[in-house]
Amino acid sequence: MSSHREAPEISKDPVADSTDLYAFVSPENNGTVTLIANYIPLEPPDAGPNFYEFDDNVLYTINVDNNGDGIADIVYQFTFTTTLRDPSFFLYNVGPITSLSSGNWNRVQTYTLSSLDARGRMATLGSGLPCPPCNVGPLSTPDYASLAASAVSTVGSGIKAFAGQRAEGFYVDLGVVFDLGNLRPFQGDHAGWSGTGLPAMAAGVNSTKGVNVHTLALQIPMEQLTRDGRAPTSSTGTIGVWTTASRQQVRILEGNGGGPSGMVSNHGQYVQVSRLGNPLFNEVLVPLSTKDYWNAQPPSADSQFAGLVSSPQLAALLPGLFPGVFPNLAIYKKPRADLLAILMTGIPNGIVPGFPGNFTGSVQADMLRLNMTIPPTATDQASNLGVVGGDNAGFPNGRRVFDDVVTIELRAIAGLTIPLVDGSYTPDPAAGAISMGLTSGASDLTAMGTENYLDAFPYLGQPYSGYNAVA
Amino acid sequence: MGRLNRRQFLQKGSLAVAAAGVASAVPGVAGLLSEEAPALGSETSAGVDAAVPSMSEALVARVTDASTGEIEMYFGTSSTTVRDPQLAARLVRAAQ
Repeated sequence: MSSHREAPEISKDPVADSTDLYAFVSPENNGTVTLIANYIPLEPPDAGPNFYEFDDNVLYTINVDNNGDGIADIVYQFTFTTTLRDPSFFLYNVGPITSLSSGNWNRVQTYTLSSLDARGRMATLGSGLPCPPCNVGPLSTPDYASLAASAVSTVGSGIKAFAGQRAEGFYVDLGVVFDLGNLRPFQGDHAGWSGTGLPAMAAGVNSTKGVNVHTLALQIPMEQLTRDGRAPTSSTGTIGVWTTASRQQVRILEGNGGGPSGMVSNHGQYVQVSRLGNPLFNEVLVPLSTKDYWNAQPPSADSQFAGLVSSPQLAALLPGLFPGVFPNLAIYKKPRADLLAILMTGIPNGIVPGFPGNFTGSVQADMLRLNMTIPPTATDQASNLGVVGGDNAGFPNGRRVFDDVVTIELRAIAGLTIPLVDGSYTPDPAAGAISMGLTSGASDLTAMGTENYLDAFPYLGQPYSGYNAVA
Repeated sequence: MGRLNRRQFLQKGSLAVAAAGVASAVPGVAGLLSEEAPALGSETSAGVDAAVPSMSEALVARVTDASTGEIEMYFGTSSTTVRDPQLAARLVRAAQ
C-alpha cells in the first residue's frame, strides 16, 4: 500500500500508522496549499461499537521544510482529547447525531492545533476544535455531509483545518501486488502464471474501495509556508512536506481503569514511531528489518537510505518476475539517479521539458516536494500520472488525491524515467504500459468511479457509512 | 496528554543527555542523587524526607545496566539518564 501497515511494529499500532500524505495547490483557492495526512489504515465503516478515532496519547504532526535541509521549519501539531458526554451509557450514540453539539453523541473528540516555527516559537492556532463523529449509518448520522462540513474550522491567519473520518482515497490492487508482484492486466506474463488456471488478463480490483481513514487536513496561505513570508517565487516556492506520529516511551497498563484512555498511563519523552513523505518509499524500498528504524528517523538523516533508492530491489526483481518483458532494465547497472532526484532531492529545472522542477538542494531527504508556483491543472486537463503524464501539478510535484501514485512509481522503477538523466537508455516498452488496471486512462480521476473525491477542502470523500459496508 | 511538540521533546532529549553526562562526569552529583534517594524496601510514608519534591504523577525508572549504575527515568514528557551504581543496586535488590 502507500504506507499502510508498511512496517512490522507500526502495523500493530494503527492509530499511529500514517497511510498517505498529500500536498497540492488548492484548486478552489489558488493562494493556498492543502496538506493532508491520513492515519488508521483500512477502517471497516461498520466497526462499532467503538468506532475509529485518533489516539489522545499520540502526537501527530505535519512538517514543512522551506529551505531544503530536511529539517522542519514549520511544524503543525495535532493533539486530541476524548470525552464521554454520558459515561453511564454503553454506546457511541443514543440517538441521531444532527449537530456536533448533539447530546445524542456520547464519545466525542476535539483537538488542539499548534504551530512551531524554526525559532522554536510555539503558537496555539486553535483548541477545542471539533472532530465529526464517524459515519455510523443513516439512523445515527443522517446528514453526514453537513456534520463533516461543520467540523471544518478556520484558525490562525486564514488556515482551514479538519480532523476526522474520510473515505480512503488511495487506490491499489492489494490482492495481486503482494502476490509476488503480480498485475492482473499482465498476469499472463508473470513467471508464476503457468498452471494457475488464471486468465492471461484480468481487470484490476480496487482493494481500498469501501474503507475509511482518519484525516488531518490543513489549507494554508502560501506566504505562511515560504521562508521569507512572501508569495512563492522560483527561488522560494518549493517546500518539502512529511508527517510523523510519536508516542511517549513508556506505557503502563494500570489495571484500575478510569478515564477515556482506559487503564493506561504514559510516561517519558515522545519518540517518533511513524513517518511518511513520498508514497511507497518505506513500503517498497526499505528492507523489512529496517522499516521501523526508518520510521523513527528524520528526513535530514535519509542519506543513509540513498543506496536503497539508487539500487532498488524491485527493479532487480522485475525482469525475473516478468521474463523477457524488461530486457533493457535487466542489464542496466548504473545507480538510479532518476529515482534519487524524484524521491530525495527533487527534480532540477530543465530535466523534464516544461517542468520548472521542485529541486530543494543537495540534501537527500524523503519529503513530498511541492513547487507552489505551479498552478493547479484544470480537471478536464489533469492527468492521474502527474508529471510523467505531462501534468506538472501532480506527483511527484506534490501529490493530489487522485494521482495514481502506484502506477507512477512502478513505471519509474521499471525504467521509464531513466532517460531523464541518462540519454543512452531506452526504456522497455512495458515500462510505459504498467498499470494495475484501476483507471480507464490517464484522464480518469475517479479510479473508474470507485473514488468519490470532493471538489473542495478537505477533498477526500465522505466516509463510507456502516450501513453501506461492503459484505 | 502533556503538550509537548516534537522539537521541544527533541530539545528535552538533548538536555536529558546533557544531564546524564553531567551526572556521570561529576561524582558529587551522582553521589547527591544516591544520598538523597529514600531507602527502598521501606513501606513507611510518614517519614518522607522533606527535601523530596512532591510529584503530580508517577516517575518510572528503568535500570538498564546495574554494573554501571545506568538508570533511565521517565517523568511527564521528559526522559533522563543518570549513572548511580548505589541507587541501581538498591533498586535491583528491592525488585528481587
